Amino acid sequence: MATSKVEGSSSLRHAFGGVLSVFILLLIGVVAFSIRLFSVIKYESVIHEFDPYFNYRVTQFLSKNGIYDFWNWFDDRTWYPLGRVIGGTVYPGLTLTAGTMWKLANSLNIPLSVETVCVFTAPIFSAFAAWATYLLTKEVKGTGAGITAAAILAMVPSYISRSVAGSYDNEAVAIFALIFTFYLYIKTLNTGSLFYATLNSLAYFYMVCSWGGYTFIINLIPMHVLLCIVTGRYSSRLYIAYAPLVVLGTLLAALVPVVGFNAVMTSEHFGSFLVFIIIHVVALVYYIKGILTPRLFKVATTLVLTVGIAVCAVVVAILVALVASSPTKGWSGRSLSLLDPTYASKYIPIIASVSEHQPPTWPSYFMDINVLAFLVPAGIVACFLPLSDASSFAVLYLVTSVYFSGVMVRLMLVLAPAACIMSGIALSEAFGVLTRSMKFHITKYFECSHTEAPAKLGESTSTESSAPLENMTKSDTTEKPEVARKEKVARRKQKKEKELTENAHVKPVSAKKEKRPLVLPLEASIVSVFLLIVLGGLYVLHCVWAAAEAYSAPSIVLTSHSHDGLHVFDDFREAYAWLRHNTEVDDKVASWWDYGYQTTAMANRTVIVDNNTWNNTHIATVGTAMSSPEKAAWEIFNSLDVKYVLVVFGGLVGYPSDDINKFLWMVRIGGGVFPHIKEADYLKDGQYRVDAQATHTMLNCLMYKLSYYRFVETDGKGFDRVRRYEIGKKHFKLTHFEEVFTTHHWMVRIYKLKPQKNRIRGKSRKSKLGSKSTSSKSGGMTHKNPWN
Amino acid sequence: MAKGTNDAQLLIQSLRKAYASTPTSLKIIDLYVVYAVATALIQVAYMAMVGSFPFNSFLSGVLSCVGTAVLAVCLRIQVNKDNKEFKDLPPERAFADFVLCNLVLHLVIMNFLG
Repeated sequence: MATSKVEGSSSLRHAFGGVLSVFILLLIGVVAFSIRLFSVIKYESVIHEFDPYFNYRVTQFLSKNGIYDFWNWFDDRTWYPLGRVIGGTVYPGLTLTAGTMWKLANSLNIPLSVETVCVFTAPIFSAFAAWATYLLTKEVKGTGAGITAAAILAMVPSYISRSVAGSYDNEAVAIFALIFTFYLYIKTLNTGSLFYATLNSLAYFYMVCSWGGYTFIINLIPMHVLLCIVTGRYSSRLYIAYAPLVVLGTLLAALVPVVGFNAVMTSEHFGSFLVFIIIHVVALVYYIKGILTPRLFKVATTLVLTVGIAVCAVVVAILVALVASSPTKGWSGRSLSLLDPTYASKYIPIIASVSEHQPPTWPSYFMDINVLAFLVPAGIVACFLPLSDASSFAVLYLVTSVYFSGVMVRLMLVLAPAACIMSGIALSEAFGVLTRSMKFHITKYFECSHTEAPAKLGESTSTESSAPLENMTKSDTTEKPEVARKEKVARRKQKKEKELTENAHVKPVSAKKEKRPLVLPLEASIVSVFLLIVLGGLYVLHCVWAAAEAYSAPSIVLTSHSHDGLHVFDDFREAYAWLRHNTEVDDKVASWWDYGYQTTAMANRTVIVDNNTWNNTHIATVGTAMSSPEKAAWEIFNSLDVKYVLVVFGGLVGYPSDDINKFLWMVRIGGGVFPHIKEADYLKDGQYRVDAQATHTMLNCLMYKLSYYRFVETDGKGFDRVRRYEIGKKHFKLTHFEEVFTTHHWMVRIYKLKPQKNRIRGKSRKSKLGSKSTSSKSGGMTHKNPWN
Repeated sequence: MAKGTNDAQLLIQSLRKAYASTPTSLKIIDLYVVYAVATALIQVAYMAMVGSFPFNSFLSGVLSCVGTAVLAVCLRIQVNKDNKEFKDLPPERAFADFVLCNLVLHLVIMNFLG
């Protein structure tokens, strides 16, 4: 009767806890969604940056033309005259997801436009990612840790930076796919069910569809399997978790056109095949060990080793020869630059030039994961007590992602879920220990005052201690009125009900014996709980500040606060709209590759190079044109059928990311393919300058002329607000280009190529040829047109 | 050397004796695994002779054999009564999972076969 009463109350508490945790998770989803809406509130519902514009254009095409046309789409409006096979070079996960959501909404007669769906895809999937983190951490450590980790992930600034409303990029869905795949892997590992293994492969397929970072999964999971085997934790569940994933995962990865046969031929996947073979060998060894006697097993091992090593040596030699014959040892350029951080700067300047590919600075760790930076080591310790397969996976995931985040700042995003899981575990364990100590002290105090509560073993003490414990729950909540946040109260309540069920089923003496080593003094635990809550509050404050101030800027619209109010710089859209309305549909526009996606999406004109940067020579051609004098540049652009040239110039308003600041990269990339462009020609004494001391080549190159044409008319002196000095060459005319449009703040300038003169006045054609050859000998620039 | 061959013979005999004691259902699964791996090896040999031109067909053929072998091994693990981890898993559930996973595998194969 007494036990049933206890069990009844504990199952009621279980039910109450379950409902409360569902409610908390719902709130966490709402927080994750709303914290990313700052950009929509502060600016407007617009797509940000550069890459999302390409994804938006592809989604528009998908929604208009259907999936078969999308899959076979050959885009002839970029990379003129090469074009781009969109179906085969894009990761389709994001566009298919957004397209499906749009189709679903419209079929339910909710009239959302494609742009709205694209803008809000990222916040929705970040809510899903928070729930996936809850599931993953629940498998590793338990429900309390799960809820804490989910709450932390909903707000972590590193994830917010790539998934604000409007940042319609691959990472928006890829991080959710990553966490979900890991959750299903751990679930399969814990339960050994083939059903979850199938789901795991399907989730991995979704991840391959979404992001190039899927190679992280297909290398991390084999590493973990190897770790388990080496530390003696091999079990049949490990085999069921890993072997089907490799086979099914490779097949599914090969289905995605972008990956194709790379799934079996590139070095990024070889690790998984190697561990596949190793796990079969280990499984066989364990099986034979099970059916043989120990002496015979020793005989078997000696026999197998002698034969096996010989065979292995031959196979390994063949493999090494195959791999060593390719110059990059089979790895792709981007993966190689992750393993050897200096590789890109030596061989592939384009990869080195992207600012996201630089290593992060120390402050960026505190900006992006804040408090988690010092909760993570505590989490690692908590994972070791006790060590299970799942917690060893969490530790391995954290260590590898810390290394990769140190190589490339963009990969801080992969560190964020690992850090959240670890901190969730750490905080949950800390709260568990502290509240357990408080409860222990308070029950001891109450038991001393209760004279008829003997130190008797059996269930009566458990029922009696459960009654004062129930009172304690209520008094604890009244004791701490500042705990206004439901999550903390709910977590403590859940901890208490866990303790209660422990007490009801376990003998109280052994329970007390368990608790004794982990009990802290009462005052210390109260103060610690309070401090931990303050820490959490500071974390939330920082996250909201980072989301509102640092990561919500759509770089297509800029604002600045000055003494006479808010200035809005909408020059980019102004320029693209001018192009859209004032040029022919088939006109080609040349600009640096940063603006390619935006030009095709918003101005709807054909561009020469864009952000995909798949063809280094084509980009080098444009870079060479920008670094050459006017006539040579005109020749290059004319050979590409270019009609308009677009440059971004920030000197009038102080916009620092303009083309003059990026110019050295144009020189380097152009010089990498066309050796007559030398970087030293553009630097004076090793310094890059455009004032009166600049070199002659610099002052005559196309980029300088197009940026500073008529600039002296603005203030009479030509003071560049970004470089902070007066420019070198102030008064000059353009001979081969004419200015057709400059935006309001001079941020985007559009020039048209002047048509070739029909008649050359004054000189005959033969003498023109003669003068051409003399000028080529005198000038540093040869007049050779590389396409003849 | 003679001791080596003696030992090898003793080894093979004891292996055979130990294997004979496994239940028939497991032996059927083992036969299926051997058949699948043999088919995969035949396909690789054929590719070595004829060339790998429709590479996706070769890949899907080999991987379907390897995949169904792996899944059969997983089924054997789950159905084996000596395995203490899976003693409260009903064999029907194990077989249903096996069928589901094979279904997904063969759907992908059919798509990839070209």
